[in-house]
Amino acid sequence: MNEHTAPSNGPRDGDVATWDNGALIRVRDLTRVYHQGTLEVHALRGVNLDVGEGEFTALSGPSGSGKTTLLNIIGVLDHPTSGSVKVDGVDVSTMNRGEAADFRLATAGFIFQAYNLVPVLTAYENAEFTLMLKGVSRSERRDRVVPLLERVGLAGMMDRKPHELSGGQQQRVAIVRALATEPKIILADEPTANLDSETSAELLDLMLELNRDLNTTFLFSTHDPVVIERARRVLKLLDGRVADSVGQAA
Amino acid sequence: MTWRMAWRNLWRHRTRTLIMTSAVAFSYALFLVSMGMGDNGHAQMLEAAAEGAGGDVLVHADGYWDNRSSDLVIRNAQTVLNAVESAAGVEVAIPRVLVNGLVSSAAGNRPVMLQGIVPEREIALQDYAEDLEAGEFLTESTRDDPLILGATIVEKLKLELGDRVVLTASDPEGEVTRALFHLTGIVETGLPETDEGLALTTLDAAQTAVAMDGMLTQIGVIVADGATPDSVAAAIHAAADVQGNGLEVMTWREAIPEMVAFIEIDDAFLYIYIVVIFAVVAFAIANTFLMAVMERVREFGLLNALGLRGGGVARLLLAETVLMTLLALAVGFTLGYSGHLAMDHWGIPVGGWGVEDMEISGANFADLVMRSTVNPGKWIMATLAVALITIGSALYPAYKASSLAPSEAMRFYE
Repeated sequence: MNEHTAPSNGPRDGDVATWDNGALIRVRDLTRVYHQGTLEVHALRGVNLDVGEGEFTALSGPSGSGKTTLLNIIGVLDHPTSGSVKVDGVDVSTMNRGEAADFRLATAGFIFQAYNLVPVLTAYENAEFTLMLKGVSRSERRDRVVPLLERVGLAGMMDRKPHELSGGQQQRVAIVRALATEPKIILADEPTANLDSETSAELLDLMLELNRDLNTTFLFSTHDPVVIERARRVLKLLDGRVADSVGQAA
Repeated sequence: MTWRMAWRNLWRHRTRTLIMTSAVAFSYALFLVSMGMGDNGHAQMLEAAAEGAGGDVLVHADGYWDNRSSDLVIRNAQTVLNAVESAAGVEVAIPRVLVNGLVSSAAGNRPVMLQGIVPEREIALQDYAEDLEAGEFLTESTRDDPLILGATIVEKLKLELGDRVVLTASDPEGEVTRALFHLTGIVETGLPETDEGLALTTLDAAQTAVAMDGMLTQIGVIVADGATPDSVAAAIHAAADVQGNGLEVMTWREAIPEMVAFIEIDDAFLYIYIVVIFAVVAFAIANTFLMAVMERVREFGLLNALGLRGGGVARLLLAETVLMTLLALAVGFTLGYSGHLAMDHWGIPVGGWGVEDMEISGANFADLVMRSTVNPGKWIMATLAVALITIGSALYPAYKASSLAPSEAMRFYE
C-alpha cells in the first residue's frame, strides 16, 4: 500500500521505515486545490506520508504530479486545503506567516532549482545569511560556514558574487546555506535540474556524504535519474497521489 | 547586514537608483531654490512696501491716511517729532510735508504730490538722489526754493533746469496758496506714476509754500534692529499723547493691507506649487518602488523562504529608501545651494521680463532683481519634508513586499 488511508501504529507497507512515534515528517490526508479563475486544480489529492530522521528520499514524478506543492507545504511555503502536516511533532499546516518564517529558519533548509542566492551578497555572505537571521555571532558564523565551504570545494571563492560562480558552484553555496543552521530537514526542489550530469552526480555524492555524517534528513523532488539512483527511497507521485514507493527508509 | 544589503541593492539596479535619486534630488534642489527666491522676493517686497508707505511706522493727523486732506496736519510738529524720536525702537524719524497741488509753467500745468523732505533723514528710507537724471539734489542746492520734478512732468511742461515753476495748493486752512520754485533737478525712477507726479523740495520750502510753518503731514519711522513695527507703534502711542495731539499711528502693514495680502497670496502660491511638485514626485517614486518590488518578487520571496520575516523584508526595502533619500538629499542640497549662490551672486533682473512698470500700493519694483535668501529654519523643514515624503512613498511598496506569499513569490508551482 503506497498511500495511507488511515494512520496506524508501527511500520507500514509503502512507508516502510515510518513509525507513528518516530516520523520526522508526518503527512496525513493532504489536499491542495488551486483556483485559476473558475477552474479548480487539484495539485494534491489526499497524500499520506511519513519520513524518518536521516532519510535520503526522493519524490519523483512527472511535471504537475504535485512534487513541488508537497515540498512547499512541508516547508510551510504554502498551506494545504485540507489535511495535516507535522514536522518534528509540530503541526505546520496552520502556522501564520511569521511563525512559518521562524519555523523555516529553525527547522528546514532549502535548496532550490534556480540556486536562488542573494545576488548582492558574496558566496560567504550567502552561506552565513540564515545563521545571521538566527542571531549567531560573527565568529561562530565563520567557524561554521568556512569549513562547510571548504568541504564543498569553494575555499578560494568565498568573496565571489553569485554571477561570478558557475551553476554548480552556486548550488554548492546553496547547500552550505541550507546546512549551516544544522536543520533537521533539507528540502530540495529539483536541485540538479539546471546542472550537467557530472556536476549533478558530484553534488548528490556530496549531499549523501553530508547526510551520512550529519544525519540530516534530505527530501528531494526530482525526475533526474542521477538523484533517483542515489536516493535510498523513492516515492513516486502521480496526479497528486503517492503512486509507488521504492527502497527503504533509514 | 540589512544596511549592507540595502546599499548593494541600490547599486545592483544602478539605472533605476539613479533615476529615482535624480528625481528626488532635482525636486529638492528646485524646492530650495524656489524657496530661497521666494523669501528673497518677499523680503524685497517688504522693503519696497515700507519704502512706498513712507516708513515701517507712520504718524499722521488722525484721519489723514484715508482722506489725504491738506487740512489734516500734525500741528505741534516739533513736540510730536521729539516724542516719536524718544520712543523705544525708533531708528530714525523722518518728518514730511505732503501736499497735492498743481505745478505750472508757460506750457501748462500738471498735478503733483509735493513732498517737503529732510534729505539727510529721508536717505535712511530711500535715496532719490540715485534717480537724479539732471541738475543737483536738494542737499547740493544753494537755493531756498529748490524743486525737483519727475522727468515726465518736466517734459510735458517743457521745462529746463533753472526755470521758474509755480505751485498752487491748498493750505491747512483751506486757502489757495501760490508759491514760486526753481527747477533744480530732474528724477527718472522708471515708474510712470512717480515720474508723472513727483515734486520734491526741502521741508522748510514746502512749509513756507503752503503756510505750514511748525506743521507736518507725516512722520515716517524706521524701526531699529530687533524691534518690530507693532512694538514701535505701541511705544509711539505711549510716548506721543496720540489722543491729545489728534494723531493716528499705523504700521505699514495697516497702511497698505493690499500689499500684505499680495505677499501672503504669493507665499501661499509658492507653497502650493511646491506641494504639487512633491505630490508628483512622491507618486512617481511610489510607482517606481512598486514596480521595483514587482520586479523583485522572487528575491523577496527567497528572503522570506529562508526565514526572514515580512517585517525584515519591509525593513530592507525601507533601508534602501533611506539610503537613496540621503543620497538624493546630499546631491539635491549641493545643487540647491549652488543654485542659491548663483542666484545670490548674479540674480535675475525682473525688469528684463517686462515688469518694470510694476507698482503695488506705491511700492516700487522697477529695480527688482530676484536673488535668493537662505532661511535656515525653512531649509531644515523643507529637508525633513522631502525626507518624509520620499520615505513615506516607499511604505506601501514595503508593505506589499512584506506580505508576499513566498511560494507565489518564487513561482514555485509546478
